[in-house]
Amino acid sequence: MSDKPKIKVATVWLGGCSGCHMSFLDLDERLVELVKLVDITASPITDVKEIPNVDVGIVEGAVCNEENEHVLRTLRSHCKVLVALGDCAITGNIPALRNQFKLEDVVARGFVETESTQIGEIPGNSVVPKLLKKVRPIQEFVKVDAHIPGCPPEADTIWYALTELLAGRKPQWTEKNLCYD
Amino acid sequence: MIAPKQITLIIDGRRCAGQEGQTILQIAQANGIDIPTLCYLKHLSPWGGCRMCIVEIVGSPKVVPACSTPAKDGEQVNTHSDYLKKLRRHTLELLFSERNHICPFCVMNKGDCELQLQGYRHGIEAIRFPYLYPAWPVDVSGQYLGLDHNRCILCTRCVRTCEEMEGVHALDISHRGGKNHVVVDLGATFGTSDTCTSCGACVAACPTGALFDKAAAFRGKLGACQTVRTTCAECPVGCGLLVYTKENRIVEVFGDFDSPVSRGHLCVRGRYETWAEPRRRILQPMLRRHEELEPATWDEALAAVRQAAKKARPAQKAVLVSPRLNNETVAALKKFGRIGVFVARNEAALCAEGNHSADSMAKLHDADAIIVLGAQPSSAQGVVAAKIRTTVRLRGAKLLVFHTRKSDLDQYADICANVVSLEHKLWDQVADVLRDAKRPVLVYGPEAMTPIGVSVLERLVKIFEAKAAGLAPALIALPTGPNSLALAAGGIEPVEEVGPWLDAKPLKFLHIVASDEPDGGARLLDEKYVRALLEEIDCVVVQAAYQSRLTDLAKVVLPAAIWCERQGTITNFEGRELPLRAVLPPRGEARPDQEILEALLV
Repeated sequence: MSDKPKIKVATVWLGGCSGCHMSFLDLDERLVELVKLVDITASPITDVKEIPNVDVGIVEGAVCNEENEHVLRTLRSHCKVLVALGDCAITGNIPALRNQFKLEDVVARGFVETESTQIGEIPGNSVVPKLLKKVRPIQEFVKVDAHIPGCPPEADTIWYALTELLAGRKPQWTEKNLCYD
Repeated sequence: MIAPKQITLIIDGRRCAGQEGQTILQIAQANGIDIPTLCYLKHLSPWGGCRMCIVEIVGSPKVVPACSTPAKDGEQVNTHSDYLKKLRRHTLELLFSERNHICPFCVMNKGDCELQLQGYRHGIEAIRFPYLYPAWPVDVSGQYLGLDHNRCILCTRCVRTCEEMEGVHALDISHRGGKNHVVVDLGATFGTSDTCTSCGACVAACPTGALFDKAAAFRGKLGACQTVRTTCAECPVGCGLLVYTKENRIVEVFGDFDSPVSRGHLCVRGRYETWAEPRRRILQPMLRRHEELEPATWDEALAAVRQAAKKARPAQKAVLVSPRLNNETVAALKKFGRIGVFVARNEAALCAEGNHSADSMAKLHDADAIIVLGAQPSSAQGVVAAKIRTTVRLRGAKLLVFHTRKSDLDQYADICANVVSLEHKLWDQVADVLRDAKRPVLVYGPEAMTPIGVSVLERLVKIFEAKAAGLAPALIALPTGPNSLALAAGGIEPVEEVGPWLDAKPLKFLHIVASDEPDGGARLLDEKYVRALLEEIDCVVVQAAYQSRLTDLAKVVLPAAIWCERQGTITNFEGRELPLRAVLPPRGEARPDQEILEALLV
């Protein structure tokens, strides 16, 4: 182990499918490389919930409810560099499809009208985070320092972005590394 | 004609030669300089709406769209300065924020979308504007195509295509500002449109997933498909097809812009009906045993046909073929003895006339007066109808329609008359309309060969004779059978009425080659007495691709290959010999008609 202090990273999963975190795990043997350089603190992967002060915060998912917003703002205040991982965090993407409809209609559809639901009820419990009127990408709430686009970003793309960030550079996106085909 | 003046531009520091009248974009492209575009398509009039092709002209304070700015001699143009790149990025960011361009579930995702591609090219990782997330509907009421307003960037390529290629102007832009959107027929849907012909040219022109083919949606990206260029054999126009296939199935069919006949355009028959419609294929040979058709091997089926043919004397045998057979079958067919090709009424005389020249489409394009006599191109030869419409509507040609049935061409006609009720004074009007015609074209179909059609033809000839010499119209015969011209020219007897033909010599053996007639050849049974006559024949062999009422009468059924499974040539209405290429291997045990006929001769 080198004496150099490890870079602390926290990742959060907001309104998304976790595909970006799965793609992160697709780094495969490079994960071994990565943990030599970074400490992954709070993350859905480590299941640590409390976000400590970190160097890099990585966000998957769009902001769909009050909890998402709270987690995002907490991470922003606890990290130096905030990275948006994947299209939901950057554009709203699939979760933002519901923005075309009224919130009441969306909730009714989800909890009551679904074909498989027999007796449906819209949860009124204050423990359940309240949905925001519109799903929004994270840069509409906080300052974002770098983006890793893709749905999900490929492991190679994530690796490129992380290694650039670890080297103290901002990832530069060109046709070659944006276009996954 | 005076040759256009040669001009020279300095584009990005390079000397680029062009001609006066060309746009900056045309000269740049001709000199290998790539300027990004979205609303530009080279076969349409320039629009200048998307602002992707903006360039700087040294000495001018503003940027201009290269696609719609005529080049001036000596001009210095910059196409890729940092300032331009920044502006283009802004434009793209605005486009992305305006509607719901959610790529992961778009039919054009990953490689087929030009907006996505421009996003990649300009390194757009995120946009700085808030997304509007407007609620736009999706119109999937059309039989073959859908319109998703969420993905529309208002480039108007579809609008211009509908106007300039199909000539119907079913599409346009409605409302203003953020509510600006594409409309069909002043606010109808594709399903209820009166004017949309379902030619699908708008889908081919759309840069995003806003307009899409329902049958092709989510069936694979085109970039990963194999492509084959072939010829549409649904009618005698012979349009070029560009067929996209993946894993032995057709993903999508587009018009081939390299086709000298259709120049990228298609009608609903070639664009959709041949592949986007469910039809019941015959996939194996069948023999009638104990009153029921039962599956058989090819050897059994061919042996049964040969045996039945042997039982009949030569005079009692006949082969009746579809006008869809390709030129290469003629030699084999002629060895069969009595042979006829079933054609539309009055088409025999039309085929005998044989007025065709290889530049008929070009003549229609350049005509200043078009007379349509006894033809129905709108339903039978869609691309010819599109050419007539565009020549009349965009290039100001006069149109005179003489018909027995109404068609959509009537509304564009200067004179439109039913041939059965022509008034005497009409001819003065006709002469008047044709007075200044310098490049008249007369398109005539089977109905022109009726006595009344011929009398109209004679009146027209008189009118032209009264004009200055050398101004006789170019004559274009427009048959309806895809290859009836060539089959008739090859010596196959055209049969307009099957009943009398069957009755002329009582038959014991009849081989019907329906090929890939969409109705399986069943329309033969629509004629009076034909069913009864067929029932009297000892052995009826039906060689067809699709199941029909006709196969119910057959003793032997032979599965034929369809348009995309055979090769050879067909001759179009211009007399051009056009190639048919096999796109897919035949499905099931089907075989190409030529192969089956040759196997029976052995």
